[in-house]
Amino acid sequence: MEISLIILTLKVAAVATVINLPLALIVGWILVKTNTRYRFFLDVLISFPLALPPVTVGFLLLLVLGRTGPVGFLLYKFLSVDIVFTWFAAALASAVVSFPLISRAIVVAMGEVDERVEKTARSLGAGPWRVIFTITIPLAYKGILAGTLLGFVRSISEFGATIAVAGNIPGKTQTLSLAIYSNLQTGNEQIALYLAGISVVLAVSTLVIHNWLVGTAGRRIIGG
Amino acid sequence: MAEELLEFNITKKYSGFNLSCEALFYSGVTGIFGPSGSGKTTLLNCISGFDIPDKGFVSLSGVPMYSYKEGLNIPPEKRNFGYVAQDTPLFPHLSVLDNILFGYKLTDSGSRRIDPKNLIDLFNLASLTSRSSKNLSGGERQRVALARALATSPRLLLLDEPFSSIDVGMRGVTIRYLKSVWRELRTPMVLVSHSISEVLSLAEDVLILRDGKKVLHASATNAFAHPSAGRISQLQSFENIIDGKIVEDDRMEKIGLSQIQAGSARILVPKLPGVVVGKTITISIRARDIILALDNPTRISAQNIISGLVQEVNYVGCRIFVYIDIGIRLTAEITQNGLEELELKQGMKIFMIIKSSSILILDSGD
Repeated sequence: MEISLIILTLKVAAVATVINLPLALIVGWILVKTNTRYRFFLDVLISFPLALPPVTVGFLLLLVLGRTGPVGFLLYKFLSVDIVFTWFAAALASAVVSFPLISRAIVVAMGEVDERVEKTARSLGAGPWRVIFTITIPLAYKGILAGTLLGFVRSISEFGATIAVAGNIPGKTQTLSLAIYSNLQTGNEQIALYLAGISVVLAVSTLVIHNWLVGTAGRRIIGG
Repeated sequence: MAEELLEFNITKKYSGFNLSCEALFYSGVTGIFGPSGSGKTTLLNCISGFDIPDKGFVSLSGVPMYSYKEGLNIPPEKRNFGYVAQDTPLFPHLSVLDNILFGYKLTDSGSRRIDPKNLIDLFNLASLTSRSSKNLSGGERQRVALARALATSPRLLLLDEPFSSIDVGMRGVTIRYLKSVWRELRTPMVLVSHSISEVLSLAEDVLILRDGKKVLHASATNAFAHPSAGRISQLQSFENIIDGKIVEDDRMEKIGLSQIQAGSARILVPKLPGVVVGKTITISIRARDIILALDNPTRISAQNIISGLVQEVNYVGCRIFVYIDIGIRLTAEITQNGLEELELKQGMKIFMIIKSSSILILDSGD
């Protein structure tokens, strides 16, 4: 039971991260490397989920993705797909909640890449796309990886948005946090404590890797 | 007749600044000289494609790179210009060799004229190739940046103040490397500098810019003699930047001097530790540090008395420059009184008195 619980939790968090990473790279690139006039709007938008209570995010997602919502209606009508109360809804909820952590870290990391290095690459014949993949991302990779891990660890611990849009269905949408909550509710404190221990181990190990990456990234910036 | 290379007519407005300049550069080395804020870097950016002009055109060997009329703007990566500025960074995540090969790999195999192996030899980089590009000295970094730019076999190498960020001791080395770029690779260059001495040490043609306008475009010698150049370089002391080969002279070792052969003259210069006979070094002699005499002076403390022939006397603004032929050309700056005293004429034999301690060595001796 615990193994499948952990696998589901990791699956939800991993899918959330896979959805977020390319989006965050695109948003980061737009914010850092272009002179968009929507900068202010975009800046507010990427931080928005950070300021909202997660349960509000989940509720809004439910309104959008539910069978009567604009997206859920279309998905059901044309593809006969229902997203709400599935593990994918949990992944989407986690993605929205953790997006600010990934994207803000990427904005910082990309902003630290020296523009002259990118300009030099272009003078050597590299087009904008090649510059992104051979210069910008390799030079910012530690920051990008750190932000990705932070987003991942936030997705593991996601609760409010998930319960609103995916419910708390054992074996289907019940992640680690939701299982802890259920066991507390039913008085199984021993199991709750055990699960809490697992979540502490997952969080600590991810954060250790994260801090190690940020630490070496920081030293690199100061050193050179 | 050199072939036509770069032609442009560029107008670019900034707040409080207006660049408006047209010119035709021929193959070879062209210098762009002007005080800071005259628009040199903006002009270079418009040529390389990193800045878009407001109006006009840029074309290379007759191929348009930018044209306002036709709405054409070739992006910088497709212009095939090499670009090295004073602070051009290396790619910190790549080794020296991978830096050099970065652009080479992106160059069509049909357009590869320059072999990176030759560049590694030419710029003396063989011992550095496997090193990380992070811990190099300023001079090494610049040589890697030059090799990297040239490995794309550029049709034109643009250099923005290439000497500003390196030690005085490395300037001579860089000047000699750049001379070999033209001599051996036949890659034309446009060199931007605020120092007329540096421009004249390399360029055949000079474009003088001031306040975003072309003041003059002429051969290096004529440009220097032109009053407008004089006005701009009024506060600069002119340096003779020349190469010389160290010649054998054991006696000189003891008195802390080295003897070099430059043109037909032998010049005593401060001893450079670690240099060996036969090595070429670059020295700088300020024009105003050269004293002229009609007779060979005796019993004098200065170490260099060099005879030569007066080539030309030039008035640059209110300053007087005398060109003297010693196999190569040296320029001496004298006063109006001095000129009247000597009654200099073309072809006259003259003695130059130069203290060895006033000569600056532009080599750090590696």
